[in-house]
Amino acid sequence: MARRERAASVRRAFTAPGLVSANPAAAPRRAAQQAPSIADLPPVLDSLFDEAIESWLALQLPVSQATPETLGRLGALAYRYTSRVSLDVDAVLLEVQGSARLFGGIHTLCAQLLERCRASGLEPRWALAPTPLAALVLARAGRSIMVRARDRLMGELAPLPVESLGWSAETLERLDSLGVRTLGALLRLPRAGFAKRFGKEALLTLDRLSGVAAEPRRGFLPREHFKVRSEPAFELVTQEAILQHLVPLLDQLEQFLRARQCGVDVLKLRLAHRAGKCTRLDVRLAAADVSAERFATVLGEQLARRALPAAVIDCELRSGVLQPFIAHSDSLWRPAEHGGALGRESPALIERLRARLGSEAVYGLCLVPQHRPEIAWRVAEPALDAPSQCTAEALYHLSTLRRPLWLLRQPAALPCAVSALHWIAGPERIETGWWDGREVARDYYVVREPHGAQLWVYRERLPPHEWRWHGVFG
Amino acid sequence: MGRTPSISPDTAADDPLGSLLAHPALWRGRSLARTDTHSTGYPTLDEALPGGGWPANGLSEILSPQPGLGELRLLMPLLVRFGQQWPARWVAWIAPPFEPYAPALASAGVPLERQLVVRTDEPLWALEQAIESGACATVLGWLRSRPGDALQRSLRRLQLAAQRQRAPVFLFRERTVAQSASPAELRLELHFRVGGARLELLKSRGGRRGAFDIEWTDTPGVTHGTP
Repeated sequence: MARRERAASVRRAFTAPGLVSANPAAAPRRAAQQAPSIADLPPVLDSLFDEAIESWLALQLPVSQATPETLGRLGALAYRYTSRVSLDVDAVLLEVQGSARLFGGIHTLCAQLLERCRASGLEPRWALAPTPLAALVLARAGRSIMVRARDRLMGELAPLPVESLGWSAETLERLDSLGVRTLGALLRLPRAGFAKRFGKEALLTLDRLSGVAAEPRRGFLPREHFKVRSEPAFELVTQEAILQHLVPLLDQLEQFLRARQCGVDVLKLRLAHRAGKCTRLDVRLAAADVSAERFATVLGEQLARRALPAAVIDCELRSGVLQPFIAHSDSLWRPAEHGGALGRESPALIERLRARLGSEAVYGLCLVPQHRPEIAWRVAEPALDAPSQCTAEALYHLSTLRRPLWLLRQPAALPCAVSALHWIAGPERIETGWWDGREVARDYYVVREPHGAQLWVYRERLPPHEWRWHGVFG
Repeated sequence: MGRTPSISPDTAADDPLGSLLAHPALWRGRSLARTDTHSTGYPTLDEALPGGGWPANGLSEILSPQPGLGELRLLMPLLVRFGQQWPARWVAWIAPPFEPYAPALASAGVPLERQLVVRTDEPLWALEQAIESGACATVLGWLRSRPGDALQRSLRRLQLAAQRQRAPVFLFRERTVAQSASPAELRLELHFRVGGARLELLKSRGGRRGAFDIEWTDTPGVTHGTP
């Protein structure tokens, strides 16, 4: 069967180029829909004497598009055609020889795949070669050809510049000084001498390029999601009813996650009503989890916060990206008792508080190296295991200043008349920030107001020399 | 420091009878030598409080007419000590009246990465969550009670939770609530005094009451003057 297919592709190899250019109807049609049909693809370079074992298709994206997210999307597209998909820094490589027959030949497969890429807004450069590295090199060089025979691969690789291997500038310079500028010249160098000068790694790369050595590649696994929809038998009005209806769905989610030893930290719930827009709830957990009970607690807090516009007639639960989840064994002691470690308590607390109060209501503190008091600190994501910010340098700087334990978010008017204040210390002049538009020019004083509270107040240096209250020495 | 507190201590460390009475197996009605406490960092205060410090499991209420009389400074030594404990646990600030100012905390030696600030209109709920979680070394809460609020039962819940989780919990409240009953282990009222504070012990385990003065140790700024 393979022999017949190869014969067919050889036949195409002789006829196809003429067909494309000679057919006057082909050109306008191509311009109209921009989809590569089978006829647009170049012929497969095959050999009657060399049995192709693997054929790798490289789909390479320009640097600006090659984000992990886009590559993941491209990988998922490719996964439909073969399970042997692998990601490179800017490309997706897939082995198509094994599944070519199923899709009606390599031409059909490639045309279908490229068509699907185009439909999802990606225009990768591509090439087909017997080794993954060769396919990658050809695709990067923009040579959209299909080579299946190893003995014909060399002829195609030979004219490419050595830069297409992506080696370091130093290596390329040394090759240039040897007068080696193309891959052909590089492959003609004596092996022993080459290995001595450039290392065994470089020689291995060349072997992998030509197919002398195999190149094991890490396989790509498409991302999994959990999605379940359930229509209740009657309209759900109360939050308890909704939560009760969600319990079996959350149980399904837990089983799904446990089977994969994964956890999720994002849950999306869509509640449909008879009329009007759906209610969407996005739940973010502080750490990935699997337990249906915990999901139910957090969802319950979120539901309690939201007023639903109408009764619910349909629920849909979706998970975010699955993450590897490592279960911890519970400590025998209570947290911090007898030096026991803290387990899941800390993220659980933050989650519960955030689910009810909103995520911006729960925060940690962080120092900022600034003289302006209001921006010498900022809100930080709470993280117990964060590295300590109290470096010796920062502390030395701080120890020379007298700062209040409380700061007002906005400087306020003085709580009493200036004449009633008792002066304790000052002035400390803070005059900075002219470069970013938030300039301050102030003289700070430590004062005591009539009731005995120590305040931190300042006087504007600019007219009208207003007095403002900025902090409290708690 | 070194001032004699205005009430005489039940046990003195230097006399033999005192050291005998401080034996953990011995329980006397008024001494409560067995209560777990955390040292306050102020020797005068340690001497005056039953058990020699802040109650380690339960509520302590600090009443003051307004913020800024030194209520936070009283706790700084404790917060610094909790910052050095391992494993790391949170110091939760529930509904503070202003922003806890990071540079001042850092220069006092309080590690910032262990502070957790919670802004909320329902401080009682957040307090209970923070205490019950077991993830907090201590919880500080600011309660602004409105007239007619029945806090008794909620405070009782907090007290039980704090005992269960063995966490010291500090509630900052207005002076006006001094007349209403409270399940707290300790109630202190803070008054202004130049260079320090006057503390009035309203309630404590063992029934000790009285008032005593403490001095702030920090020095005022270098330059003095009026504008």
